[in-house]
Amino acid sequence: MTMPQHDEKVLLEIRNLSKNFGGLQAISDVTLDLPAGVITTLVGPNGAGKTTIFNLVTGHITPSSGTIHWLGEPLMGIAPWRIARKGIARTFQDLRLFSHMTVAENIQTVMERSSWLWQRQTQDMTEKLEQVLQETGLIDKRNARAVDLAYAERKFLSLARIMASDSFLWLLDEPASGLDPRSFDRFVELLKTYAQRGVTICIIEHNLDIVIRLSDTVAFLDQGHILAQGSSDEILKDPHLAAIYFGDR
Amino acid sequence: MLAYLQNIAVLFAINAILAMALNFIMGYAGIFSLAQAVFFGIGAYTAGYIALNVSDSLLVSMAAAMGISAVLSMALALPALRVRGEYFVAASLGLQMIGVTIFSEWKSVTGGLGGLVGVPPPVIFGYTLTSTSEFLVLALLILAGILVVSALLVRGSFGRSLMALRDSESAAQAYGKNVNTVKTLSVAVSAALASLGGVIYAFYMSFVNVEVFTLEMSILLMAMVIIGGTGTLLGPIVGAAIVMALPAALTYLPFIPPGELGTIQQIIYGSAMVLLMMFRPGGLVGGRSKDKTV
Repeated sequence: MTMPQHDEKVLLEIRNLSKNFGGLQAISDVTLDLPAGVITTLVGPNGAGKTTIFNLVTGHITPSSGTIHWLGEPLMGIAPWRIARKGIARTFQDLRLFSHMTVAENIQTVMERSSWLWQRQTQDMTEKLEQVLQETGLIDKRNARAVDLAYAERKFLSLARIMASDSFLWLLDEPASGLDPRSFDRFVELLKTYAQRGVTICIIEHNLDIVIRLSDTVAFLDQGHILAQGSSDEILKDPHLAAIYFGDR
Repeated sequence: MLAYLQNIAVLFAINAILAMALNFIMGYAGIFSLAQAVFFGIGAYTAGYIALNVSDSLLVSMAAAMGISAVLSMALALPALRVRGEYFVAASLGLQMIGVTIFSEWKSVTGGLGGLVGVPPPVIFGYTLTSTSEFLVLALLILAGILVVSALLVRGSFGRSLMALRDSESAAQAYGKNVNTVKTLSVAVSAALASLGGVIYAFYMSFVNVEVFTLEMSILLMAMVIIGGTGTLLGPIVGAAIVMALPAALTYLPFIPPGELGTIQQIIYGSAMVLLMMFRPGGLVGGRSKDKTV
C-alpha cells in the first residue's frame, strides 16, 4: 500500500467526537489529531474510553456525534473493511488472532485484500511474509497454529499481522501487556523501527515504560474526556493526573 | 451382490458430495446450516424438470442446477450476513421448512407430494448413462472434481478469508476483508456444489420426491461432517462412508433381529456421536484437541 499524496501533516483528525451506549457516555467531545510520523499514546484508567476511540475510528461502531477525517476525507459511515483498505490497521486488546490458522496463514491473510475466489500470490507478498516472520522472530513457528503459540508469540503474531498489512496508521490496543522483559525490549525496538520507516502509531497502553520509551505525545483520558495532552514528561509528572490514574482522587 | 454394493457406493458418493459442500461453509466459514437438503432438492428437482421438459443433457442439467442453487442460496446468505452461531442455525431451520413446503406444494414444477416420476437417463457427449456402474463412475468423478475444487479454494486466498471470518469476523474486517462478499460467495459455492448431488440423485433414481430433502437429511449431512471432521478436506468423505456403511454393515450381523434393526441403528448412531464428541471432538480426520480461540 502506498501513502496517498496529502499536503496536510495531520493524518487523522477527530473533532468533538461523542459516543453513547444507551445512558452511558463512553466518549464525550473528544478532539484529537494524529500527525504523520508521530507516536501518540492514549493513557487513562480502565473505562476511560480509549478502546472506544479505536472502535470509532475503524468503523466497528458509529459515533453519536462529531467527525473523524482521514487525510481530509470523512470516515463516518464507512464499513470497517473499507477503512482498513484506506491504510488504517489495528490490533485488539484480546488479540483476535485467526486461532486455527498457522502463523504464516495469519500473516498471508492480511496481505490478501481481495475477497473474491482467488488472489495470486506475488513475489512481493512472499518476500514480505519472510521479512515479517524474520523481524518478529516467528520464522521457526511459521507452521504452528496461532492457538498453539505461547503468550508472547501470540503478541508478536498480532504485531506481525499489522506489519504485513502495509498500513500507514497503526492503532495498537495494549500491544505489550504481559510481555516478559526480553520480549518487551524486542517489541519496543520493532515499533521504533517501523516508526522510523514512516508508520504513524497510536498506542493504548497501561505500561508506563512503553509510554516513556516510545511516545512523542501522550493524551490522558478519563471518563470519556481528554483531560490533558503533552509530552510523556508533562503528563506522567502531573500529580492530579497521577491521582486519577492510580485511583487516589 | 455387486449391484447392491454399487448401489451403496453411488449413494455414498452422493452423500459425500453433499457433506463436502456443507463442510465448505460449516467447516471453513463457521456457517452452520440446517438447510443443506434444500439445495440437494433444488439440484434434483431442476435436473428432473429439465430432463422431463427441456433436455436430457447431463451438462445442461448440471449447469442449470448449479446456477439456480447459487442464486437461491442468497436466501441463506441473507441471514448469514446478519447473524452467527445458534441464531443462524435457527434461521437455516426456517429456510429448510420453507424449502420442503415449496417442494411439496409447487405441483406444476415439483409434482407435489407425488414428485417427478420417470426422469429419463442423462446423456453426455451423445452417450446415455443407464447402468449402476456408469452412475458410480459419474458420481465418483464429480466427487473427485469437487474435492479438487474445494482443495484449491480452501488452500488459496479464499480459504484463508473463510477461516479468518470463522475465527474472528471483527479482526478479518479490520484487515480489509469484505465479510459480506466472502460469506455470500461461500454460501453460493456450497449450494452450487450440493446441487450436483441432487442432479446425480435425480437421474440415478429416475424419480424425485420431497421425502429425501427433509430436515432429517440436513441433520444427517451435518452428522457426516462432524463425524469425519469439520474443516478438513477428507473428513466429510470419511463421515459419509461411516454413516452410509453402518446400516449396511448392521444388516449382516446375524444376532440382530430384523425387526429391531432400525432401533438398534439409531442407538448405535447416537452412541457413536456421543463418544466421538467426548474423545475426538475434531472428528475422525480432525484433531483430538478441543477447539479454543485466542
